Amino acid sequence: MTTDKTLSPQALRQRDQYRWSALGFIAPGVLVVAVLLYLPLLWTTFLSLTEYNGLGDPEWIGIANYVEMFDDPGFIGSVLNTLLWVGGTLLVPVGIGLGVALLTWNLKGGTWLRLPFLIPYALSGIGVGVIWSFILSGGGALDQALAAFGVDDTPRWLVDAPLNTVVMILATAWQGVGVNALLFTIGLQSIPREPLEAARMDGANGMRLFRSILWPMLRPLTAVVVGLSIVASLKTFDIVQGMTKGGPGRDSETLALTMYKETFVNSDYGLGSAIAVFLTVVTLIASILYLRQQLSSKHGV
Amino acid sequence: MRSKRIPLTIAAAAAASLVLASCGGGADDDGATTGTLDFYTNKAAWEPDFDELNATSESGADITLNTTGYSDADQYDAFIKQSFRTDKSPGLFTWQTGPSLTELVDEGLIAQTTDIWTKAVDEGWVSEDLRDSYTFDGEQYCVPMNIAYWVMYYNKNIFEEQGLEEPTTWAELDAIASQLSDAGITPYYQTSTLFTFQWFQQLVAGTDPELYNGLATGEVKYTDPEIVDIMNTWLDQEEAGWFSDAGSTVDPAVGLKQGDFAMINFGSFFNGSLDGAGMVSGEDYDMFVIPAVNGDLEKTPVAVESGPLCVAENSSQKTLGLTYSEWWMSPDAQTAWSEARGDVAFNPQATVADPMLEDLGTTVSGDGYELYDRYYEATPTPILTVALEQFGAFIANPSDPLPYLEAIQAEADDYWADQG
Repeated sequence: MTTDKTLSPQALRQRDQYRWSALGFIAPGVLVVAVLLYLPLLWTTFLSLTEYNGLGDPEWIGIANYVEMFDDPGFIGSVLNTLLWVGGTLLVPVGIGLGVALLTWNLKGGTWLRLPFLIPYALSGIGVGVIWSFILSGGGALDQALAAFGVDDTPRWLVDAPLNTVVMILATAWQGVGVNALLFTIGLQSIPREPLEAARMDGANGMRLFRSILWPMLRPLTAVVVGLSIVASLKTFDIVQGMTKGGPGRDSETLALTMYKETFVNSDYGLGSAIAVFLTVVTLIASILYLRQQLSSKHGV
Repeated sequence: MRSKRIPLTIAAAAAASLVLASCGGGADDDGATTGTLDFYTNKAAWEPDFDELNATSESGADITLNTTGYSDADQYDAFIKQSFRTDKSPGLFTWQTGPSLTELVDEGLIAQTTDIWTKAVDEGWVSEDLRDSYTFDGEQYCVPMNIAYWVMYYNKNIFEEQGLEEPTTWAELDAIASQLSDAGITPYYQTSTLFTFQWFQQLVAGTDPELYNGLATGEVKYTDPEIVDIMNTWLDQEEAGWFSDAGSTVDPAVGLKQGDFAMINFGSFFNGSLDGAGMVSGEDYDMFVIPAVNGDLEKTPVAVESGPLCVAENSSQKTLGLTYSEWWMSPDAQTAWSEARGDVAFNPQATVADPMLEDLGTTVSGDGYELYDRYYEATPTPILTVALEQFGAFIANPSDPLPYLEAIQAEADDYWADQG
């Protein structure tokens, strides 16, 4: 509003002249974003406040779905499993990825060492699930291999909780280490040479070099990798669906599986949407808090 | 000024697309009685069989099926439900009997087939018993696509080696299981995902059919002392090591072939899988109707599963779909289908290709047997989902059954309270 006063009448006229054509130019973009991104979000939020079986019309029931959601012990189990996934994928695929990157980034031919880790990344999660369920099922490849070494009393990998979630996290790690290693390598290679050389001249090596120089200078990249990992693990679905379908019982169910089951198996679209909204809010809060904290200027080197 | 316009534009766009989204919802019936009929099924594996049937339907009814098969049942259900909101609702599709069909009929989404059923019953093409599963408020909807009886398949070689005969009483079946178990052979197959219900179904219906029906209608609680007793029987059998490894993902047909277990309780569609695994019907495997747990029952209860073939009320191919449905009930169609699919025929006038299935059909329609709806169709979906999980958890960790039953009953209480 204040800018209007400083503009000459002529400039104002000119602006008016372009206003409608300008709107015409941005309309397609705005429309696409509205229809594809905002509308589904609003629609899901609306559905979460209704009872709807996918047929007929949604019936407004207020926050009853949210009450039912938090009242369900199985839902709490899903939340805990999802947290286990968040923690586990930070520890294993991200941790090992960083390890692989640190060990190979300044080696000659390091690319060839990292390459094999990247190959599983080309598979879809559901494919990884199917392959690993062959390996881990009772009497499967792993049990047979262990039996060859005389170990007969193997755990029931995919049946006992929380072991099933742990082995599924390891299966995810098999797939995810490569891409994390690649990202960390890029980060390491973009660290300027000068501070590194200075540190080396000061006698820093190994762990000391890593803690004082590499780790702090990697921070922008670590923030991205960890952020992506948190978001990806919060919505874990395909690998669990491929391996245990959340079972036995609901022992290995994650939030995304609960959402899918309520929506598409039980046709309770309202409750499914409520879980989707919950998951969205949690993911948003986690990302915002984490990125705010990590990318703030106080962490500069 | 300018910045205020953007939210306005978004709001207008959102409103416009909401209007668009709420449009649709059916097309006019084009009235054609011959041509190509779009057919959707969640039995993707049967697609070649439907294609094979086209040769017969082209000469018999001048209709060709254009089959789209889904292999994920949940995805398929969601797809069909969404399609009713569009003008592409299917002219013919497969569904489940029981509460999930009731839901569609209540919404007025399914075309009536009363005339087709009246004709079929008059001609003796189908039993009146079967009509009940397709009747809602006195009218019929859909026609039966297939029918399967849940029986016990067994590996004939193992039975011969052990000198075993098909049991005629529950005590004999128990004796067989215990002899096999002593010989180091696992008697029964089990799994902790999806097909977790059949032994429960068998034990409850075989003990008391009324009790079984009471569970489906909500009159009997899962925590009923009789149900708890039955579960404890199951627990004893689990602890005796009568069931296969719950975590195994070996194909059950392959498992029976290689003798991982001697018997498997499955629907009579399993012949197709066993044949596919390279076993010969009547030679390598055979089947028997499972004797009732309670020997005092007048008739032996046999679980039956029937999958309907439905036509959407608002489909542009409604007439074509109904014409095909009528032809489908005929002996010609059922003979061809039985040959293509290798399945039991619901039409007694049809010729069944596999003599074992022919025998089964004759046996269970005899006096000493009564049919009851399979647990999967008889149970309302939300209760079923929890029950399948809880039975799966029980199978994975056989222990005191009460907590599992309480979890199912909690869901049942919620469900019936909503219905009340």
